[in-house]
Amino acid sequence: MQQKQHNILKYCKQGSLYWLPCLLVATLLAIAGCSSIDCPVQNRVYTVYSLKKANGTADTLKVDTLSICSRRADGRDTILQNRITGVTTFDLDISYINPVDTLHMTLLDTMGNTYRDTIWVEKSNQPHFESVDCQISYFHTILSVKSTHHIIDSLSINNSQVNYDASKEHFHLYLKDRY
Amino acid sequence: MTHRKNISTYISRIAISLLLIVAATGNGRAQQKNIIIPEDSIPMFRGFAVSFDLVGPAMLALSDHGEYEGAFRLNLHDQWFPIVEVGYGKANHENDEVTGITYKTGAPYFRIGMDWNLLKKKHGPNRLYGGFRYAFTSYKVDIMRGEMDDPVWQGSNIVDIQDMQCSQHWLEAVFGIDAKISGPVHLGWNVRYKRRIAHNDGTAGQTWYIPGFGTYGDTRIAANFNVIIDI
Repeated sequence: MQQKQHNILKYCKQGSLYWLPCLLVATLLAIAGCSSIDCPVQNRVYTVYSLKKANGTADTLKVDTLSICSRRADGRDTILQNRITGVTTFDLDISYINPVDTLHMTLLDTMGNTYRDTIWVEKSNQPHFESVDCQISYFHTILSVKSTHHIIDSLSINNSQVNYDASKEHFHLYLKDRY
Repeated sequence: MTHRKNISTYISRIAISLLLIVAATGNGRAQQKNIIIPEDSIPMFRGFAVSFDLVGPAMLALSDHGEYEGAFRLNLHDQWFPIVEVGYGKANHENDEVTGITYKTGAPYFRIGMDWNLLKKKHGPNRLYGGFRYAFTSYKVDIMRGEMDDPVWQGSNIVDIQDMQCSQHWLEAVFGIDAKISGPVHLGWNVRYKRRIAHNDGTAGQTWYIPGFGTYGDTRIAANFNVIIDI
């Protein structure tokens, strides 16, 4: 009986010696087999415009409606914002590779007046790579901005870097008094 | 009466025990005087070893990236092992089936560090060791993506980045074993934990495969399987 117990103990000891490297190899294979795709969750690149009053406080469209469109490569118009009201900030897409984005803005107030302005945003375009698993996007540096002044009083650059981080407004848009 | 007998028994037992302890201590001291610590006759310089890794070429054969790597290691007293590792890492990921991205790079990398033999019997044929490495690589990357459409403004463009200069410094903690197989031939594996300390990813965001480091963003743990030849 004692001999049998001794054999079992010996077997267990031998077994543990064989089992440990197997576990180690299995762990290594599991680690090597694990790969993660770490593409950014927020992967949209766009600009943020903030409406401002002359004294620097936030302005609002109230019940005025604002529409913005641009011209595509095929010559047809594309609507970027359609009749937005009551906002203090709004987002606008930015082109991948155009050196200058031309934006046509139409503001309709409650008195039935229509104001049209054009904004030109000059920028540099930089392809941005994260991984072969993530689609390439374009980051931009805003070089200058100018506009006509029918309803726009002025337009200034607040943050020239356009990337995945849209928490800081890129433009401050000052409108003329409408009332 | 019985009570008195018991007390005397205890006292005598304690007295005898104390005498035995004193005697044993005295005997131990006498023995200590006779112990002669043998001098370690093993010389400081015990030769050197060259090794090459089998995991990197296997990865290169089975996937789109991997390394060829060799090492030169000094043996100091079977305890300290200064080591230099040199390799060439390359990646050729062509036209990803989802993103359509092609990523190419190929460059040498260098590591320098030290291993310590952790076994008590250091002069045996097998070794268990821990160590560290400092590593560096300077490499150029090609990133291509054909016909990328702008979803709003329409029109398409091609991303073609050529020879983007990048570099990286990193540290590694190493733990591994060597086992003598026959004559001067050893086999061994090691596990490495990598942590980058400085990097230049060029002008287009990040890099994916870094020679010697692997793909960034995946696990920081890697393993090598080495064939080692003592010289």
